[in-house]
Amino acid sequence: MSERAMLEIRHFTKSYGGKTKAADDVNLSVYGGDICGFIGHNGAGKSTTIRAVVGVLDFSRGEIFIDGHSVKDDPIACKQVTAYIPDNPDLYENLTGIQYLNFVADVFDIGAAERKERIGRYADLFEIREALGDLIGSYSHGMKQKVAIISALIHEPKLLVLDEPFVGLDPKASFTLKEIMREMCREGTAIFFSTHVLDVAEKLCNKVAIIRKGRIIASGTMEELTEGHSLEEAFLEADNEK
Amino acid sequence: MKNKNLLLFRTLLLSTSRRNTYRYSRDKKKRGKIVGSAVASVLLYAMLMAYCGLMCFGYGLIGLIDSVPVLCALTIAAIAFFMTVFKTNGYLFQFKEYDMLMSLPFKAKTVAASRFLYMYVKSLPWYLSISASMLIGYGYYARPETAVYPVWLILSLFLPLIPMLGAAFVGFLIARISAGFRKTNLLQTVITFLFVLFFFFLRFFLQDMFANGKAEQTLEAASAMTESAADVYLPARWFSDAVRKLDPVSILLTAGVSAVLFAVIFHIVGRSYRSINSALKSHAASKRFTLRAQKKRSPAAAIAFKEFRRMTGSTLYMTNGAMGEVLAALVGVITLAVGSDKIVALVTGGAPLEAHILRPAIPFIVYFFIGMFATTVCSPSLEGKNYWIVQSLPIDKRTLYRGKMLFNMLLSVPFMAFSTLCLCFSGGVPLLETASYLLLGFALCAFSTAWGCVCGVRHMRVDWENEVEVIKQGPAVMIYLLPNMFVVMILTVLVVFLGMALDHVHIALGFTAAAALFAALSYRRVMKLADRT
Repeated sequence: MSERAMLEIRHFTKSYGGKTKAADDVNLSVYGGDICGFIGHNGAGKSTTIRAVVGVLDFSRGEIFIDGHSVKDDPIACKQVTAYIPDNPDLYENLTGIQYLNFVADVFDIGAAERKERIGRYADLFEIREALGDLIGSYSHGMKQKVAIISALIHEPKLLVLDEPFVGLDPKASFTLKEIMREMCREGTAIFFSTHVLDVAEKLCNKVAIIRKGRIIASGTMEELTEGHSLEEAFLEADNEK
Repeated sequence: MKNKNLLLFRTLLLSTSRRNTYRYSRDKKKRGKIVGSAVASVLLYAMLMAYCGLMCFGYGLIGLIDSVPVLCALTIAAIAFFMTVFKTNGYLFQFKEYDMLMSLPFKAKTVAASRFLYMYVKSLPWYLSISASMLIGYGYYARPETAVYPVWLILSLFLPLIPMLGAAFVGFLIARISAGFRKTNLLQTVITFLFVLFFFFLRFFLQDMFANGKAEQTLEAASAMTESAADVYLPARWFSDAVRKLDPVSILLTAGVSAVLFAVIFHIVGRSYRSINSALKSHAASKRFTLRAQKKRSPAAAIAFKEFRRMTGSTLYMTNGAMGEVLAALVGVITLAVGSDKIVALVTGGAPLEAHILRPAIPFIVYFFIGMFATTVCSPSLEGKNYWIVQSLPIDKRTLYRGKMLFNMLLSVPFMAFSTLCLCFSGGVPLLETASYLLLGFALCAFSTAWGCVCGVRHMRVDWENEVEVIKQGPAVMIYLLPNMFVVMILTVLVVFLGMALDHVHIALGFTAAAALFAALSYRRVMKLADRT
């Protein structure tokens, strides 16, 4: 495990209209090689935290560092090493899949040969190669999700942030994504993802953070949190206690 | 490494390019619609060019051709400013792919600037149509040097930039102010309304100031006003000097000021772009709801209510959809307060016209505002990704479109009635005549609603990226808006002439019958389209 946290969230607080706190003093560290599951009820503050991490949402209190760079002060350096897959990917509907992937590859300045190899590899893994010439608007939700995943993997990020990544994916694609996540983790990538599927989190993650009403109520390694029980039991217990 | 600004801008254009959709779509119906809307766009450009060209020839015929460059610059500036004020919110903020773009390594300034440039390029054909047609007229009468033609055309590319930047900056300020409050959307809508109304009425005060009450009501007076306006709006003067005298300083000023202004404004916008978007896209939940007695509505009324909520939930939809109604009401109130004689004198620049002569035009004047936009034009397309909701409900399309038409009638008729009554009362219109104008106003509202729905359903497009594409740029809106406006202007003049010879009530009833007939035909067409789609 590397020394410096790839993702470090310190006292992150986000309030709407000055009153409702969607995230309240969130502290979290994810290191290279970690797969950290972020779990909580609907409206608990998972997406707010994730959107702030990837530089989409502005915030005034707290700090978020990615690979040592501040999201507030140096957002471009942070985004250069991060990939984000939203829960409901709003991609350019009137571009073809390949046009969109080339756009992202251009943004990350990926060479022609590398991009061809990576697009081809992931398109085959997700069985979407033949649809890449069609407009994204004609894709199903799952196909859009697959294109969003490929676009996130294309530049080999150091930090992968995913918001409910398995929603809409077929069983095979879901399995493929889990395998890719494990492989990336072995290669030192830090992965931070939100999910409602506790079974998936339990099998995939080595770290877990539970958020409730904007506050982290439990976090640590899977073993520390579950103490021999299932993650579902640990989650319900933590949820009842607070 | 590719320039990220250009890359983003190019991708943005490609992502909304109808050519790209035509090329890669396998849906024949969709491809057909693209061809149809392209043809319709060409026709509209031709109409606009004809209108501007004729105006230019009018100037040429009476020997005022030298005023045409200023007129061209002012016309483009006015249109660009007002169109941009309405569009800024949708283009710069609250667009669907915001999350995707902001998570990529782009500077906030780059994203904002690319959105602005995209808005500029998309509206450029309109401005170039105006400019090119005026250049033809100018070339015909002024016989300028050959070099004037390329200079005119190149500088035409810069003409809309300054007003668009000004309007975008105003839109940014409105968003910036609204972002600091809990009811962001409501505040943004109210400020936008106030701003547009301020400029709408400011126009008349400026006109009054320049005309100074002495000028005769001829094209010469208009020309004098145009020249005076160019002293206030300097880019128009620079453009005029650039094309008339081929003055290099004026050429540089026209292009250079636009470029500098662009850099300065987007430096400022970029600094708080993310915080504004964060505020606009976030909604605090009160979590204090208590379930009380609920109302039961008919399916059509339920759809009409849904339309109401859809409209009030979007600043862009609200400011475009209800602006005509608000203006009509304000014109009514002001006429009542100031008196119709003074309003007529102000609008006509002191022309020797009696308010009495204009009485038959009252329903058309009101309709000019009320009918400038019908919600039915864009509401079918605005279903967007939520279209599945109404599709999966146990209601037929006829009920759906009836609900949408009901909402537009509920929105437009009260404002029409209020404004008509104010104008009639102020002008001392007899009771029977007032009733006939109300009837005609109702028939016109019905026509506007049904015809708008024909356009909206016929050119329905749910796969939009940004609601601006539907509300401001959709083919349905274009097909409805421009011909409707021109026809109303022609009818307003026609009815005044008829009123000199015929009884006003008879004229109103005649036009009521015609409007009702067209409304009925349009309604029938909507029902047929409902069965087909």
